[in-house]
This record gives sequence, C-alpha cells and structure tokens, in this order.
Amino acid sequence: MLKVEHVTKYYDDFLAVDDLSFEVKPGEIFGLLGVNGAGKTTTFRMIMGLIDANSGSITLDGKKIGYDVTDKIGFLTEERSLLTKMTVKEQCLFYGNLKGMDNETILARLDELLKRFEITEYKDKKIKELSKGNQQKIQFITAILNNPKLLILDEPFSGLDPFNVELFKKIIIEMSEKGSMIIFSSHRMEHVELFCKKLVILVKGKTVISGYLSDIKEKYRKKNILIKGDVDIDKIKQIDGVISIEKRATELEVKIKDMSVADDVFKVVSKGKNISKFEIVEPSLNEIFISKVGETYEK
Amino acid sequence: MKSKLNYLIGISLKRKIKSKWFVIVNIILAIAIVGIINIDSIINFFGGDFSQKQSIYVIDNTNEAYDILNTQLGSIDTLLESDESSFELKKYDSSEEDAKKLIEENKKNIVVVLYSDEENIMSAKIISQNTMDMINYQTLVTAINNTKISLAIQKSNIPLEEINKIYSNTDIKREILNEDASSDDENMQMIMTTVFPIIILPFFMLSIFLVQMIGAEVNDEKTTRGMEIIISNVSPKTHFFAKVFAGNFFVLIQGLLLILFAALGFFIRYITGGNSIVNGLGAEVGNIVNSILSSGIGDKLIYIIPLTLLLMIMTFVGYSLLAGVLASMTTNTEDFQHVQTPIMIISLVGYYLATMSGVFKGAIFIKILSYVPFISAILSPSLLVLGEIGIVDIIISLVIMFITNVLFVKYGLKIYKAGILNYSSKGLWKKMLKAMKSK
Repeated sequence: MLKVEHVTKYYDDFLAVDDLSFEVKPGEIFGLLGVNGAGKTTTFRMIMGLIDANSGSITLDGKKIGYDVTDKIGFLTEERSLLTKMTVKEQCLFYGNLKGMDNETILARLDELLKRFEITEYKDKKIKELSKGNQQKIQFITAILNNPKLLILDEPFSGLDPFNVELFKKIIIEMSEKGSMIIFSSHRMEHVELFCKKLVILVKGKTVISGYLSDIKEKYRKKNILIKGDVDIDKIKQIDGVISIEKRATELEVKIKDMSVADDVFKVVSKGKNISKFEIVEPSLNEIFISKVGETYEK
Repeated sequence: MKSKLNYLIGISLKRKIKSKWFVIVNIILAIAIVGIINIDSIINFFGGDFSQKQSIYVIDNTNEAYDILNTQLGSIDTLLESDESSFELKKYDSSEEDAKKLIEENKKNIVVVLYSDEENIMSAKIISQNTMDMINYQTLVTAINNTKISLAIQKSNIPLEEINKIYSNTDIKREILNEDASSDDENMQMIMTTVFPIIILPFFMLSIFLVQMIGAEVNDEKTTRGMEIIISNVSPKTHFFAKVFAGNFFVLIQGLLLILFAALGFFIRYITGGNSIVNGLGAEVGNIVNSILSSGIGDKLIYIIPLTLLLMIMTFVGYSLLAGVLASMTTNTEDFQHVQTPIMIISLVGYYLATMSGVFKGAIFIKILSYVPFISAILSPSLLVLGEIGIVDIIISLVIMFITNVLFVKYGLKIYKAGILNYSSKGLWKKMLKAMKSK
C-alpha cells in the first residue's frame, strides 16, 4: 500500500504542497487532480523520491521509497521523457535495464506490448520520427514494461485519439485488476470519473476534496434534474433553491441547491405536458471540480 | 549501484561512439593526421617536389666571386646543421636579359648578378619572379656578404696562415652561473617552442571533446525530460559518476585513436618513403631526444613521465567533474556553452602559456600559474622539460589538482543533485550556492 501522510513541500518560500495525505491500496486507481501549478507534479516527484518533502512521510508497503524499490514502480511523466535520438528498442532496453530487467525479458515484453498497441513496425524507428500519439504510446510502454506494482501516470492521455484512449484505459484497468496501485492525474474529469474510486483535488497545494468519488458526490449537496417534456420554465426559475436552468438538445437540466428543492420542481413539472423524463442525477466530477476550484480561488 | 553504474557508463559510451559525428570527426582526424605526416608525398603526387633545390644562376662579372659564393653557401648549410643545401648554384655566362628568360621559363629560378665595385669591392643584384622565402633570402644575402669579405681579405694581401685563422670558427666557451641550467637548455627552448605545441595539442583537443561530450549528454537527457525517468531509477550520484567515467573512457579511446592514426601515417610513410623517415624525421626526433637527454633530465624521466601522465589524468577527471556540475545547472546546450566558456578560455590561456613557456624564463608568475588547476597539466610539463620547475613543483600541482577534484566531488555532487531536475535558468548561481550550502 502507498501511504502519503501529511506531506508538505516548500520551494524557498513558495508552498507547493500543503499537508497532503492519501492512501492507495493494491488494485486501486487513485486520482490526483488539480489545475496547472496545483502541486500534482511535485507530489509525483516526492513519491518517486526525486525530491524530498519538508515534512511528512511517503511509504510503499511500510518502507520509505528509495532506489531499492524503484524497480517496482512505473512512471509516466506529463512531458515526453524519451531520448528522441534512440530507437524504440534502444529506449526500452535503456529504461528496462535501469529497472533491473535483463535484455531478454525486456525484448519479450516489448514485443508483446508493441503488438498490443499495434505499432510493431516502429520497433527499430527513432523516437523523433514518430508522431506525438505514437511517442505517447512508447512512453506508456516504457512505464509499464516492468509490470509495476505502483504505476504513476501524469496526464497519460495527452496527444491520444479517442481510439487509443480506450486502449490505454483497457490496459490500465487490466493492471489494476492484477493488483497494481495506480495514481492518475488528468485535466479530463470524464477520464478520472471512469477510473478512479478515490481522489484528491489540489488547489495551490492545498487539498480541497479528498476521499471516495461516491462519497464526494454524495456529500456534494447540489443535484441536477433532467426533464423531457413541455414545462413552464419561468415557474421553475421562480422556485427557491433552483440555481440555473440549461436547455439541451431534447431536455432541460435544472441545477438545484439540494434534494429538498426536487419536490417543488416535481410539482411544477407534473403540471406540464408530454413529460417523458424526470431524473435526479449526481453532478459530474467536472462540475464539482469547477465549483470547488472556483470557490478556493475566490477565497 | 555498481551494475547500474556500469550499465550507464556502457550506454553513454555506446551512444557517443555510435554517433555520426564521432565517426565523421575521426575520419577527418585520420585523413588530417595521415596527410600531415605524408605531406611531402602528397605534394609530390600532385606534381610538386619537396626535395627540389632552388636553382640560382650566378652571373659573375668579378670573375672571382662565384667559387667563393658556392663555398660560403656550403658553410652556412654546415652551420645550420642542414643535411642538404636547399640551393643549387649554377654559373651563367650570358647577359642579364638572357638570365631573365630563365626565370620566365621556370618562375622558381633566381638570378644573382655579382658586380665589381671599386669603392665597395663588390655589389650584387638578386632577381626573382616573386618575393623569396625569408630564410632563403637571408641565407643568400649572408653568403653574398661573406663572399665580399673574402674578396676583401684576398685583396688585402694577408698571408694564407692569417686568412685561415680569420675563417676558423671562434672558440666560444659557455659558462652559465646557474648550476641547474646547462647550455643545452638554449637548444631545448627552441625545440620546446616548435615541438611542444604539437605534443600538447591532442591534450587540449581531448579536453574540449570531454567537456562537450558530458555537457551535450546531460543536456540531451534534461531537455527531453528523460532525466526524470533516469533519476527515478538511479541516484544522481550514480548518474554523475557514470558521466565522469564514460567521459574519461571516451577520452582514452579517442586518444588511442589519435595514436593509431599517427602510427598509420608513419606506416604509410614507411611504405611510400622509407628512407626519408629515417633521414628526415628520424633525425629530427633523434635531435630532440638527444637534447632532452643531454639536458640531464633523462635520469628523471622515470619520475617525470608517470607524474605528468597522472597530472593529465587528474585534469581530465577535473574537467569531467566540472562539465557534469555545470551541465546539471543548465537547461539546454546553449546555456551550457555559455557557462563552460570561461573554463575553455582558462585552458586556452594554459595552451598559449605552454607554447611560449621558454619566453618567461625565471618569472615567478609563470611558476605560480603552473600550479593552477586545468592550466597545470599543459604548462607544468613544458616548464619541467625546460628546467624552469622541478619535480616538487609537479607534485604541488598534483596535490592542488587532487584537492580541486575532491572539492568538485564534495560540493559538485550537491549542485548536481539540486540541478539535475532544475529546468529554469533563473537565478542559476544563487541556486548553485544554495545547493553547496545544503547538508
């Protein structure tokens, strides 16, 4: 289990991460979210042991992360961390050897992954000759080459088309099912929502939301009501607790401050005609993220 | 740590040796070195002739100076210890206008016209198509002047016995009050000025290769962000030493290649012109070796060679440590070029000081400069051979270089650890100082 406990990191006087705590158990996919400069990369670097925290502790299976355990970790950085003059094969051999793997195992695993990503023809091509998307695939391959126990993915879908996003998702889920701990960061909340059971949202180094996604959504009082049919929009707007009404292609989305408002909305909707849908739904993570990040920035 | 260190050294060397530029640079070096060693054969091949003597057609209007001039030119060659004269004197019994036609036929021909002169005994005119080589011109002028003196002596009715005394070499006794110095040092100075720059040039060149290699590699890993993955798997310490070792092994390989190219050049020379290597270059090398041995330094060579080599190796290590530290703080190759410029200038100063070492005879400041790290490896050996410094001074240089390297390792590692994941060139020196102060 990865345990991050009360970790704080300063760069001179700048507070990059403030009292951050979370746990990731085997088989869990954990989301670390935040806008640029929130402290995500600093947190990843601290987990990888690249930089030291000013206070707090980070342990993997109860031990401090050092160079004796990095062979069990896979790391995909936000920016391309590939030596572009190398060929795909050379690059994988290089990073694989640094993970303590032997050449035979690396090449066997590489063949398997290249086949999986349908890019076997690039094995002897130089990385600089590959497209951005294919470079990202190679970077992902180098991160999972050693079947890591802990996999850190910083913006893994950057530069990928929807088809390859699906492929990445599939592999990430497979790895989680096999027991890998996965920490994941993305600006795309729909990706996080699909994967992560647990998450932390950072704003300027501070934790603004932390916990299981279901609990977070449960605690978030605001709800959305989806309505299909002819209703009196003005009357709904006048209801106390209705935040906003948004017209979509075939339906209305009414945002309410909490569940108590839903009854009043239902009363108005029931007087309408051709009503085929009245559904109370949880807000999306994106909505919660924008709401929380906005609140924190305003403070 | 050891196996990852070995792996990083191997991969670093492999990346460098397999690169296109390494192959191209070595092809150029091989061609240049083999070419320089066989330059006379190349010129001959393209129609030139190194051994061709310059023909001098002499119109002797005095009817008595030609033989004397011929003898005088021979004497000058003997004085210069030249095996063969570069002139071929031919008496020409025709007019000056006809002689000029000889120059038109062969632009290298020279015509010397000697005139009787009642007031000044003899006058002369030298006619050539273009300006002459300075040494050849001076030799010819000296021979003509000596010819005039000979004629004057003959006309003064001085007895033969006296004439022989006049022409005999002056017995010059040389006394040098400094017991450590010898008259051979005077010859050594000339040799050092001409030969030493060629000997130390490879050292200077290799030190530039070393700094550039380490800087380029570290910056390549940083700019591609591959460093994040590397440093997450091996410690900055391992990475740092891998670069230092790989850099020095690279220098060793490049140095051996330079020796190989030179050996190939001499082998080709041996095949294409075996005699000239023995008579020409062999004699030159023999002269240098004799001068070195006769200066009394021969007995000390058993200490001097290993100490000088050790100083050079330690200087290479110093260069690699410094290059690694500087590269870790910079974010791209351009920034690295800026920060490494002062080091290259210091090294260049050392190179020029070494080539001119004979000029600064006895100067204290040059002795002090010979202790300065990076300069010492180039300057100390030349001063030692010239007898300006002793083995003790070389040992002092070694100790200073060793201390410098220890400090580079101690503080450089701290800077390297802080700088290797630094991607901002803002406040570079402040960050370095802060890293040095850290525990």
